[in-house]
Amino acid sequence: MCVLCSQMFTEIHWSERLLDPETVSQGAGETIRRQSRHGRTRLLGKVLAHYSLDVSDDWSAMNYVVGNRKGKQQVVGSVAELWQAAAKMAGRPLDPLDPALLQRLRTEPEA
Amino acid sequence: MTSGGRRAVTVLSGFLGSGKTTLLRRYLAGHGAGVAVIINEFGAIGVDHHLVRMVEEQSVLLQGGCVCCTRREDLVRTLRDLLDQENSGKLPPISQVVIETSGIADPVPVLFTLGTDPVLQHQFAPAAVVVTLDALNAAAQIERQPEVRKQIIAADWVVVTKTDLAPFEAVSRCRMRVRQLNPTARITVSRLGDGSDALAPTRGAVRGLPPEAPAAPHSEVQSTALGFNAPLDWPAFGVWLGMLLQARGPDVLRIKGLLDIGDAGPVVMNVAQHVVHPPEHLAAWPADADGSYLVFITRGIDPARIADSLETFQRAGGRADLSVRELA
Repeated sequence: MCVLCSQMFTEIHWSERLLDPETVSQGAGETIRRQSRHGRTRLLGKVLAHYSLDVSDDWSAMNYVVGNRKGKQQVVGSVAELWQAAAKMAGRPLDPLDPALLQRLRTEPEA
Repeated sequence: MTSGGRRAVTVLSGFLGSGKTTLLRRYLAGHGAGVAVIINEFGAIGVDHHLVRMVEEQSVLLQGGCVCCTRREDLVRTLRDLLDQENSGKLPPISQVVIETSGIADPVPVLFTLGTDPVLQHQFAPAAVVVTLDALNAAAQIERQPEVRKQIIAADWVVVTKTDLAPFEAVSRCRMRVRQLNPTARITVSRLGDGSDALAPTRGAVRGLPPEAPAAPHSEVQSTALGFNAPLDWPAFGVWLGMLLQARGPDVLRIKGLLDIGDAGPVVMNVAQHVVHPPEHLAAWPADADGSYLVFITRGIDPARIADSLETFQRAGGRADLSVRELA
């Protein structure tokens, strides 16, 4: 819940639990969740590449696996935990206002 | 009750002597049925209501947590006790709880406690933070008391009190100072304790239109309203905001707004310090809405950098044509 200190008190992070109740009742919730998850992980990958890190979903698409080029990996349950683990692995803060990161995102070719 | 059947919780805050209890008494006189009241301190004026619980603030700073991750154990115990008594039939059904904080309390730990306790989060929903501000003393209190500034920034609704005693200019100045710190807050002027409707658990926190920028910005606190030319990509927005709060949390004091993510209705965003209220997906746009917007109240961050960063993340997330602009 608190994204700064990453204390986890809810099962699902706020950014991952927004689903239209109508969609869920129609049984399309899991499809929408996986689509959102795919887009989120793809963008996370672009951002973390700037810090020489990578990220992927685990088999269930419920956890993220963040790793560095030395082969170190960590499984985290939410994006809140991911930022903290990634900053530790990168050895520096991950700042979305960093001009170098933004320049890289602007010039990144579409995969 | 709010949507989802949870009991609405209104947090009533305000500096010592700013008229919290007067406002509460007025409210209870008209809306008392089904309203439970939790107070932190006995003021000069008592609250004559059958459902009053007195608590002594017991805050626990969670290990490894930041300042807003303070759990109010007293509230957890009292709210769970109210639930037990309601369920066993000892109390009538509760539709709303008003928590009157002490004069120097920070309202954010109350929101944190409600949102994180495994029992309370399913039974209670924050409706609004209402803050009383004494028109006579507001200028000095805002200047000298950091608690007052925090309360105003956390507010959804500010009720300016004692306006019958203050000259017109003082009331105007008071409104301007609030606007400087928190342009998203609704401001009403109370005379002789009226204006207590601010405590009603309506959608007081939702505003359809972005607020006007203050004429003279505060020296420490900047605020900016951002508008968008197209619907936002929600997963990319979540990535960006999560990263921003992780990196810049202490300097992002408040975020509030309505976001068009391409569905029929908008998403209501409300972030107080680092506590993200669960985003609420409205079925339709409010009648007074004119597109989506987000207001940021920050300390020491150039608003143009926020707009540039959000736009870049949205484009990298697949919304190639999205542009973010600062609303005048």
